[in-house]
Amino acid sequence: MALHAAVKGKLISVIGDEDTCVGFLLGGIGEINKNRHPNFMVVDKNTAVSEIEECFKRFVKRDDIDIILINQNVAELIRHVIDAHTAPVPSVLEIPSKDHPYDASKDSILRRAKGMFNPDDLVR
Amino acid sequence: MYVLSYGYFLSDEVAVVNAANELLDKIILKQLHLMEEKMCCELMIESSINNGSFQLAKSRYIMGQSSVSMTRLPTECSAEFEASTLCEDIIEDGTKQLKVIKNSGGITVNPMRWFGVLVPQNLHKAQSIFQNSINYVVECANIQLKILENLKNIEILKKYISSIKD
Repeated sequence: MALHAAVKGKLISVIGDEDTCVGFLLGGIGEINKNRHPNFMVVDKNTAVSEIEECFKRFVKRDDIDIILINQNVAELIRHVIDAHTAPVPSVLEIPSKDHPYDASKDSILRRAKGMFNPDDLVR
Repeated sequence: MYVLSYGYFLSDEVAVVNAANELLDKIILKQLHLMEEKMCCELMIESSINNGSFQLAKSRYIMGQSSVSMTRLPTECSAEFEASTLCEDIIEDGTKQLKVIKNSGGITVNPMRWFGVLVPQNLHKAQSIFQNSINYVVECANIQLKILENLKNIEILKKYISSIKD
């Protein structure tokens, strides 16, 4: 059955605050695989940055994950790791949380896309 | 004769550069539209998460503070189960895109059961709101994939134009 899921579709993982994780897991994206590895991580004020970084790297390495959802305020803590991830898969999607509204200027992808519009580059 | 052929070569080169520049303009314009689309999508996710969190807060008010919290979520010690919502890879216009699918054959669980048997209506509402936001999330991931594909194309085109000029 696990093989069936791996072939049919891939997972959406989430790293975020309590409400984001509870909400998306309620939506049905949560999974505990046969190695007892969850595809989510709840970040609270006591969570160490190294733990978040480690979890993010673990999710990136997993080949059964297609999308990594991460709260933008959490992403800010491990910005260097997120910026270093340039591969299209898994897609890292920075999402807002109830306490931190979306800020397009912080979004890793949008910043990369904006970098293309350097005035120096556009002079032809 | 030499002057003529040289002139012909020059005009040919200019035409190629112009065509490449026009294509670059089109891709950059598309990129701007995609960036706008992504921001709109993120705002929809934001409002969806806010609404969902509001329903979660209402459920918490009815059931008690710890009844709808991370302590109810499965841990590494919980039994193995599969996600009921997955995403599938599809190729659309030569670009990889994602599509939400339901896991029909796996050992799935009803996440509502983690929070009790008789749960308030607000928790059901929160569930449907977050299920809907998964659709927005996948839509946003698709836009992101298109943005990355465009970035690659822009890079290639810029290199091509500079190689012609050199």
